Amino acid sequence: MMTKQVRYEALVKALHGDLYRYAYWLCNNKQVAEDLVQETFLRAWRALDSLKDEKAAKSWLITILRRENARRFERKRFEMSEYEEATITDTQSITTEQNIENHWLREKIAQLPPEYSEPLVLQVLGGFSGDDIAEILSLNKNTVMTRLFRARNQLKEALADESVNRGIYNG
Amino acid sequence: MDDLSFRRAIYTDPKTQDTDVLTAMLADDKKKQFSQEINQLDESIMQALNVPIPDGLSDKLILRQSLANHQANKRKSRIHLALAASLAIIGGLLLNFVQFSSAYNNLGDYALAHVYHEQGHFNNNSSTQISLKNLNDKMATFDGSFKRSLGKLLFADYCRFDGMKSLHLVFQGTTSPVTVFIVPKDEQLNFISNFNDNKLFGSSIAFKHSNIIVVADKNESLSEWKRSIQETVSFST
Repeated sequence: MMTKQVRYEALVKALHGDLYRYAYWLCNNKQVAEDLVQETFLRAWRALDSLKDEKAAKSWLITILRRENARRFERKRFEMSEYEEATITDTQSITTEQNIENHWLREKIAQLPPEYSEPLVLQVLGGFSGDDIAEILSLNKNTVMTRLFRARNQLKEALADESVNRGIYNG
Repeated sequence: MDDLSFRRAIYTDPKTQDTDVLTAMLADDKKKQFSQEINQLDESIMQALNVPIPDGLSDKLILRQSLANHQANKRKSRIHLALAASLAIIGGLLLNFVQFSSAYNNLGDYALAHVYHEQGHFNNNSSTQISLKNLNDKMATFDGSFKRSLGKLLFADYCRFDGMKSLHLVFQGTTSPVTVFIVPKDEQLNFISNFNDNKLFGSSIAFKHSNIIVVADKNESLSEWKRSIQETVSFST
């Protein structure tokens, strides 16, 4: 029988990376993302006994994280507008071609309507199945599937536009 | 599988393991290429979202939890201490209450209990008899006296009547001894003039500073006993 402490540490080690990346995508700010992850794990610790199925741990943590993030907006409404600034400051770290690509794509994902981008991030980053995503977002599975389709479709189109534009610049 | 539904399936989940989608992909190079493109897109999304994790984040998370836990434990032990202290106080008060308060709330209940408790000590046909003088010596404590003997007095001594010093008299009765208590007035026990249970019955007479209680079995005439007590007993104050 694992003690609570051991379970908790295993949970942190296994999932803090995924959670941090998800939090970073949600708030686009390193410090806020870190705070969110800390809050999430503290809450997780308190409620650890309610986690029966270790396989469900990741979606459980993501659900807590999303709730924490929503709480952040309840506390400070003005942070809603912080988004653009955060992406601007982020450009400072851009050094390589790959980073430019990443940054561009992050921006495109961010420009998607949140109801499209969130399932996409959960699927790609979190590795969740359609059923898992439906549960986390409290949607029905068909809606999730449609949104995943639209999200990729829009990104693909944006990507196509971009290569056309680049072609013009190059030519 | 037609092109539209194939694209839809791939857009929805590029890593789908659906057999229809997989066979369609094998049969058509264009479809295969499309799938690869979208998987490439997913790879890029993954890359884009794969931001570096701050150094030592997991250690920080564990540290923060153990600190929070430590605080909680400290609070908890304080609460436990407070609980234990409160329980001790309540226990003390309860003990006090039980020890110094009466379990009976009226004279009658106590008198009956007392009589039953000492039932075995007295024999109605006992040969011992206590003189009137002896009785009146004891009655002096209560500032009272008997003018004449009420009957054959088998026993007369002080006793504790619910913690109060009282005089316990036992007279010979028709079938079983008749008990008379002379009890100082007290607020803890309510005065009750008549009481009984299935075997015994009793009656109380209130004097100025004392109560006299007669308990006898149901073959006795209580009113007779009451009347003679009222006639023979007098209190000086």
